Amino acid sequence: MADFFSKEWADAVRDALTAGPDEQARAVKLQEYWDFFDFLKSIYPASWALGCRDRGSYLFVQWSGGTVTDCRIIGPDDPLQATYVLGMDYRDWKALHDGYDAQRTVMYRKIMLEQGDLLEFFKAIYFFVESLAVISAVPAAYP
Amino acid sequence: MTERKSPTAVLREGPRALSDAQVREIEDSSLEQVLNVDIDDVIEYVHKDLRSLPDFTTLYRKYLKQRWDVYDLDFSQDKIDWQEKMTEEERQSFIAVASGFHHGERQVEIELPVFMIGASEEEKLHIAAQIEDEARHTVFFDRFYREVVGLKGDDIMDILDASFPWVSETFVAPFGLLAYQADELRLHPYDERARVRYGTNYFLWIEGVLALSVMKVTLSYARWRGFLPAYYTGFTATCRDESRHVQGGMRYLQDAVRKDPTMIKEIHDTLRTILSVSGVVSRRIYYEPLGWTDDEVRVLFFQQLRRKLNDVGIGLSPDLEDLLQKVQPVLAGG
Repeated sequence: MADFFSKEWADAVRDALTAGPDEQARAVKLQEYWDFFDFLKSIYPASWALGCRDRGSYLFVQWSGGTVTDCRIIGPDDPLQATYVLGMDYRDWKALHDGYDAQRTVMYRKIMLEQGDLLEFFKAIYFFVESLAVISAVPAAYP
Repeated sequence: MTERKSPTAVLREGPRALSDAQVREIEDSSLEQVLNVDIDDVIEYVHKDLRSLPDFTTLYRKYLKQRWDVYDLDFSQDKIDWQEKMTEEERQSFIAVASGFHHGERQVEIELPVFMIGASEEEKLHIAAQIEDEARHTVFFDRFYREVVGLKGDDIMDILDASFPWVSETFVAPFGLLAYQADELRLHPYDERARVRYGTNYFLWIEGVLALSVMKVTLSYARWRGFLPAYYTGFTATCRDESRHVQGGMRYLQDAVRKDPTMIKEIHDTLRTILSVSGVVSRRIYYEPLGWTDDEVRVLFFQQLRRKLNDVGIGLSPDLEDLLQKVQPVLAGG
């Protein structure tokens, strides 16, 4: 199993995000919600840098044409450039992986927007929250 | 609770005029007397002062007179109604609507303190009172879920955890945005543009539109059926509290735009984000057992929005009018 925030894990995240939420996740929400999600995904032009504050590293995700075109770990000494930079503590990454709700992770300010246009970011908030849930479900060893 | 008008009657009746006696009844009722107040009158009362908004000291003085003790409510009849008189469909619909409020009260309680930092001294009094109101409303729902619905838990978060499965996925749009806007204010408490964006989401959309609409749905049901007297009493008193919050919030936005007319852009930008995600639902809430249809609830939302904007003199840009038309269904029949 890949380690959390390793290259192998980032590769698996890329594949999972491109595939999107599985049938089980889709079955419990209305089709119109997923239509909106799929529409946003198809046109989303932005990138996310999702930080693990304790490590000073970021998971960089670039979206284009409905797919993830770049997904990698940015180390503490690497240049950081993304449309939206967000940060979360390691314990909250682990809690998310262990089943904590992605919506509440945003609402309870466990993951916070550190750079980027807040109002633009929230126009695609359902897409972001569902993608966060997809990332959390990628198998990984959390030390 | 003598009048048993259908829950949606007010949608077709339009705004009602309140007599001085009705205003006094709303303003001066003790907690026990609130049971006799019509929720539609209280919602009308919210709008009564929007054209000549009271100042913050007046609102603070009203708070001191209207404060109520959430522990004075007796939920024993509500428990009987819930368990023995309401159908399973009514219970499920009710809890699906009320859970948004259960979590919403908690969210508006904890995200408000940072807004106080950049406020005038008089507004700080009003905001301090509002934070206490929201804390009391959080306890009100905690008690309702424990004592009537029967959820179990050692503390407030346990009960929030237990009711969260009823909360829709789209809840994150206004309340996640509020959390992030609060963080923006934490970093820049005197940034007036950020304060106006925050105020648009909190006071205009969440309190002025979402909260008043949700209150109306469950309270009209309770009044119509003659059920849940403690819920009706406490939540109608909550609605009276919200009238001060909405009036204070609209006063803040109106003053901000009068001082700097370019602030209207911040209001429009915030509404653009909110409206662009508000036409989507992730799960079907069956309002019919409570006497409502989906479209009637959405009409109620947008009636509330338009009345606030009109009353405080905030116009919409053409693109926002278009956006609103796309998400606003027409109320058929009448």
